[in-house]
Amino acid sequence: MKIKLHQSIWAFALIFILFACDDSGSERPLGAYETGILIMNEGAFGSNDGEVYHLEPASGFLKPNIFEMENNRPFAGLLEDMVMEGERLYLVANTGKVEIVNSGDFKSRGAVAGGLDQPRSLAINGNKLFISDYGPYDGSYNTPDSYIAVVNGLDGGAVGKKIQVSNKPEDLYSIGKFVLVAGSEEKSLQVIDAETETLTKTLVVAGSPTQFFILGTQLWLFAPASDKVYFHRINTSNFDLTETVEMAIPDATGKMAIGNNGKIYLLTSTGWPTYEDAVASVSIPNSQPIVKELIKGSGFYGIGFDQNRGELYVTNAKGFQGNGNVTVYNESGTVLKTLDLGRGPSGFMMR
Amino acid sequence: MILLLWVCTIFGFLPVGQDTVSLTEVEVFAPAIDKFAQGQKVQVLEKTELEIYRGRSLGDLLQERTGIFVRQYGAGMLASPSFRGTSAGHTALFWNGLPINSPSLGQSDLSILPMAGIDQAAIQFGNAGALFGNEAIGGSIHLETKSEFGSGFQAGISQQFGSFGLANTYLSAGFSSKKFSTKTRVYRESATNDFPYQNLGQIGTPEVRQQHARFEQNGIVQDLAWNLNSKNQLKTSIWWNKANREIQPVMGSNTRDQQEDQSFRAVVDYFLFGEKSIFNLKTGLVRDEQVFNQSQNNTTQYFASGDWDKDFSFKWTGKAGVRFTLAKGDLSTYQAEDNRLELYQSTRFSPSEKISLSLNLRQLVYSGTFAPFTPSLGMDWKVWQGKNQTLKLKTSAGKGFKVPTLNDRFWNPGGNPELLPEESLSGEIGLNWTKTGKINMSHGITYYRMQVDNWIIWVPKGNIWSPENIRKVSNQGIEYEGKASWETGNWQWKADASYTFSKAVSTEGIDENDPALGKQLPYTPKHQVNGRISADHRGFTGFLGTFFVGERSVTADNPRQMPGYQLWNLGVGYQNLKWGKLNFPLSFQINNILNTDYQVLYLRAMPGRSYQFNLSIHL
Repeated sequence: MKIKLHQSIWAFALIFILFACDDSGSERPLGAYETGILIMNEGAFGSNDGEVYHLEPASGFLKPNIFEMENNRPFAGLLEDMVMEGERLYLVANTGKVEIVNSGDFKSRGAVAGGLDQPRSLAINGNKLFISDYGPYDGSYNTPDSYIAVVNGLDGGAVGKKIQVSNKPEDLYSIGKFVLVAGSEEKSLQVIDAETETLTKTLVVAGSPTQFFILGTQLWLFAPASDKVYFHRINTSNFDLTETVEMAIPDATGKMAIGNNGKIYLLTSTGWPTYEDAVASVSIPNSQPIVKELIKGSGFYGIGFDQNRGELYVTNAKGFQGNGNVTVYNESGTVLKTLDLGRGPSGFMMR
Repeated sequence: MILLLWVCTIFGFLPVGQDTVSLTEVEVFAPAIDKFAQGQKVQVLEKTELEIYRGRSLGDLLQERTGIFVRQYGAGMLASPSFRGTSAGHTALFWNGLPINSPSLGQSDLSILPMAGIDQAAIQFGNAGALFGNEAIGGSIHLETKSEFGSGFQAGISQQFGSFGLANTYLSAGFSSKKFSTKTRVYRESATNDFPYQNLGQIGTPEVRQQHARFEQNGIVQDLAWNLNSKNQLKTSIWWNKANREIQPVMGSNTRDQQEDQSFRAVVDYFLFGEKSIFNLKTGLVRDEQVFNQSQNNTTQYFASGDWDKDFSFKWTGKAGVRFTLAKGDLSTYQAEDNRLELYQSTRFSPSEKISLSLNLRQLVYSGTFAPFTPSLGMDWKVWQGKNQTLKLKTSAGKGFKVPTLNDRFWNPGGNPELLPEESLSGEIGLNWTKTGKINMSHGITYYRMQVDNWIIWVPKGNIWSPENIRKVSNQGIEYEGKASWETGNWQWKADASYTFSKAVSTEGIDENDPALGKQLPYTPKHQVNGRISADHRGFTGFLGTFFVGERSVTADNPRQMPGYQLWNLGVGYQNLKWGKLNFPLSFQINNILNTDYQVLYLRAMPGRSYQFNLSIHL
């Protein structure tokens, strides 16, 4: 008798919950992080204190360490990249894991915890995750065994196949049933068939490819070299290069942000020992003059652009001695404000 | 079974029927480190204390029994000392009078200095650049082996078993006559170190076992001494140690780093005992080989020194000497050589039995560059002496320095040959009260102030990190230590406690906007407490110890604080189990009795409760 009572209570509860959950879609409340800017703080080597901050640009309200706040545990990794796909946000830690959270409320929903070495970025194709990974270091700190790790399932799990690619793969781009790989060290653009999980094409290109981006309807690949930068336009049906734009901008770091009206902002650094950093602004096609030193300084670490507000964000890691900060500029390079961020602020996701 | 085999082996080479009775024991000579350290705090940890920590590490001993904070990167992993809010590189470390800090790193890893290799540790707190030279800014640690003449044949074997795969074996054998002394020790320590911990870096923070933290070290220590005649003594010590470690990953990482450290240290001392004088010639060699994954870093240091110590009169004592050091580095990214010459002089003046004053001076020149000239002045003054009580005032002031390490200057890329030596200035004053009677007691309190300038910090220059003389740090603090011993019936009791308050703030940083300015240095607890009570009853011994480490920040600008923690340890033993000439000391310890979950450094897991059982056979 008791069992039946319990059963009927359960049945009632179930119906109640089902009805309660039957939202029409449009009434769903926005998650706390569905608007505004997510700021990636890489963290310091050996401390694994990477984290995400959230900024409401209009009010200037900044919420620190949202991963730890929403999940009651530290992120515990060096945050290399963030990739959003629908309701999922992938946090790629180059210390060997990918954490998957709800993009709205940052609650943890899964992870790729094992089988990775130094993951750099991620792309989603069908029901699979593709994770670019430098692979392990050898004795002389080279990474001859770089790969793309494949995980079946969008909420993480075990690494299945590892597809060998050229050394130090960075950004990935998913298109149709293919995943494109920016191969930074061996200057390559590689194509993976996501269904067969095999490498189908390798193109050697000028510069060291670091990032894919969309400009209008065109797919581009950014590839800096020591004394110039290259922008390669990719034919999206056969993945050949349709055009290459070359600009005489030395010391580009590979970090970039897409501005308004075809503008692109590039972070440059003379590096050691003089160590002079700058933000250059260019445009594709070359419709506007190149400005090599729109902003000058030292310690620049990450760059982002808020297209809605026309504001440029440039971070400073402050020598990794503690937390860094970000300076917000308008499009002509005038300082608007400075905000304190987490350890090694390195990138932005504008929502 | 294995133990039994060892026992048989030991018995196998025991000579039968020795004539040790007629000999009188005389300790092999070693210069006292505190002879000219007036006004400074020196804590000596004797062999009985060290034996409790055998099987654990020098880092554990210092953390739990002194006011030093030890930064531990996991169980059995890198452990570096921090005295009075200074960094690991601000501690000079000596073994039988040889400075053994790595010349490339400018510091030592306390985890690979096993207790089995030493018989005494003396800890000197505060600036002592004039007395001990390079790197003695926060303090210095003096490790000694001790042997004696005239004690005949002695041997022992000790086996430890414990939690997380701990298995340690120690063998020792020695023989000494009036003229000659030899002592050999061989040890092997290993642990799988697979302790359970809550992995904060994994979804759901499950309790998992620590992976990849296996630890193993082996070594041999050989001490030899000869009384050539009544005025000449020659002694030598050799220590070879090899440690193999899987480097415990930070939570959230799955690094598989592997580190092998091999050290060979040898020292030869010649003493000429004259009329109230001792002339000492010392030469030594320290070779460190480290393989981290497949990258190899080797350094060799050669030392030659001579000094003369003379009591001129009852009131005046002096010492003067010279030391030459050649440091060679053959690192994975560079090769470099550094030669150092230093002249030092110490004078002690005791105008009465109550007052002793000392003046120490030192000048070091490295590769043609003059390090800051370091003087120091100290005083011990018996302010008041009652029937069985003494009140002593100790005060001292002095300078210290740190020569930039080989890595700081030559690491490729990034090394900065233009670096200046770090420089410190400090002063301290303390009161010590001792009382004998039914309860023997001593209490000491010290206030210190210190400033360290040109503090070297590695900062990124684009993708390359490079060191610069960036920080200026101001430290001050209070240290208290108290001891008591008493008897109730057949019970002997001892209790001690210490408290350390340390404030170390940056006064100059990267620029005037450096958020670290005015804030406590990272991983520098303001408060530390240690305490222990022990009892001895007809061969039964027991102790209960505790220590507390306060909050500390992860970074220089202090946004994240690590919680403080307090751990408790317990030990019991029985020393009087005998069979003929053989003695079988037994002991059992529980570390971290309350199974407290703690981290010393952010996201570095530390073990919970562990057990350790020791069985020894002494002859």
